[in-house]
Amino acid sequence: MGQRQAGPLVWVGIVATTCLLLAALQKLLWLTVPFLLALILYYMLQPAMQALIYRGMRRETAAGATMAGFIALILLAGVLILPEFGARLLDWQTTLLRYLQGGVDLLDRSLRSLETSWSVFANAQLADTAAARLAQFTNSLTSYLEPLVVGAATWAPALLLTPFLAYFFLRDGRNFLSFLARAVPNAFFERTLDLMAQVDHTARAYFQGLLWLTVLDTITLGLGLWWLGFQGAWLLGLICAILAWLPYIGSVLGGLLVVLVAATDFPQVPQMAWWAVGLFVMARMLDDFVYMPLTIGKSLSMHPLLTVVMIFVGGAVAGVAGLMLVLPVLGVVMVIGQTLGYLLTDARLMARHRHARNLGRQAAEADLF
Amino acid sequence: MNRSFLGKVFAPRKLTPQLANLAKISLFNQLSATELGIVDGLLHHRDYLADEVVFDEGEEGQAIYLIESGQIVLMHPGQKENESERIATLGPGSFFGDMALIDNVHRTAQARATQGSRLAVFFREDFLGLMDTHARIASKIALQIAREMGRRLRQQQSAESHTWHQHQ
Repeated sequence: MGQRQAGPLVWVGIVATTCLLLAALQKLLWLTVPFLLALILYYMLQPAMQALIYRGMRRETAAGATMAGFIALILLAGVLILPEFGARLLDWQTTLLRYLQGGVDLLDRSLRSLETSWSVFANAQLADTAAARLAQFTNSLTSYLEPLVVGAATWAPALLLTPFLAYFFLRDGRNFLSFLARAVPNAFFERTLDLMAQVDHTARAYFQGLLWLTVLDTITLGLGLWWLGFQGAWLLGLICAILAWLPYIGSVLGGLLVVLVAATDFPQVPQMAWWAVGLFVMARMLDDFVYMPLTIGKSLSMHPLLTVVMIFVGGAVAGVAGLMLVLPVLGVVMVIGQTLGYLLTDARLMARHRHARNLGRQAAEADLF
Repeated sequence: MNRSFLGKVFAPRKLTPQLANLAKISLFNQLSATELGIVDGLLHHRDYLADEVVFDEGEEGQAIYLIESGQIVLMHPGQKENESERIATLGPGSFFGDMALIDNVHRTAQARATQGSRLAVFFREDFLGLMDTHARIASKIALQIAREMGRRLRQQQSAESHTWHQHQ
């Protein structure tokens, strides 16, 4: 399979199908996101379920027990964390505004420092212009936040689908694949099994790679922030690592968050924000050149140029959702496209399929005449 | 109460007719009912018409085939009419295409159904997965394959020795 080379026509089909799928998935985002999260959960919980099956448990019982164990863990974590979270929630608005103000102050300080050094910026009244723009943005903040809050409220019930979907993936995933395989003619059967295995490999490697990447990012950023003296360094590292699931935009948001925290928590040490930016840039470089190739990049076995181009195409076609979905969708479509291209151009397999159909027709007509 | 509940949940599986049928296949005759149940979940069952090709010589092998019913002949292409040149004629309980379970090798012969046959297909990726998750089952299956290969080797040596003596 690995030596097969897809032609240009197949590649055009792969890219076009990926774009169409992304456009369609964007319309069904309320279902796509829980589905994606359920897939991540499925690949996380599958080893635990396999261990129970090996000890003699039936698949259905093992799937139920695994999911029940996971939900119990989440509930336990919720019981332990919620009281503190609830107490902090009361002053979340004050905290948010405090951090935003910290960011604004840092920007103002930096621009005024630039104005002192460069007359061009001083003549342009850069700091005053930026302050006026920010004030305008802050005044209309509600109009930006409202759709976000309404969107989150609409999505919350859909997210409850995640454990439900993951449970059925665990319980019936294999039966569903066997059901699909039954529809495939004998001549193409072995190739189709191979195709399914490759799609599974691609998805498993991608999602497990994503989880490993999150762990590595959290450790790197957490260690760095802890060393710089940030409070809640590990939580901040984890949030930035999860934000990095969104290519490009996630990294910018994570960097912004770290700078806001640095500017607010260390107002008397202005260079701390720059240290934090330095740390973040270093972490991103480690991510792009070391962690990513070790985890996700390896799993999808795609050319780096294609990966980058498709990330931009995904963003253009389906926005933030496209950025997040483009790589796994492309990976799966690539395997399917290459295998279909191979099957449909294999004269021997097509001849065997026609032969089997003739045999079937002859068997059906045997005693008619 | 608690122990009996756990005992029930992890109880050895009973041998259903489906699993009993599977136990007749030589590849699986060392497996317990629970282990057969696990393997059964990995098998695909396919029906072949008389004269239908299962796989071709030179094709990339991805799976091993186990005969549940019917008859399969292994031969080189073009030898269909000449029964004496067939490599093997296999019936229920036998398996073929076993090299594919071990390595990504090309098929060394063509397999064709001589009558309506039902085959269980064990995909290599599932076997490799079994080695990770259920190493004991996988090693029992691998041992059976090794035994079968040893048997074939002895048969071949015996045939070669017989031919050599005839020439003398």
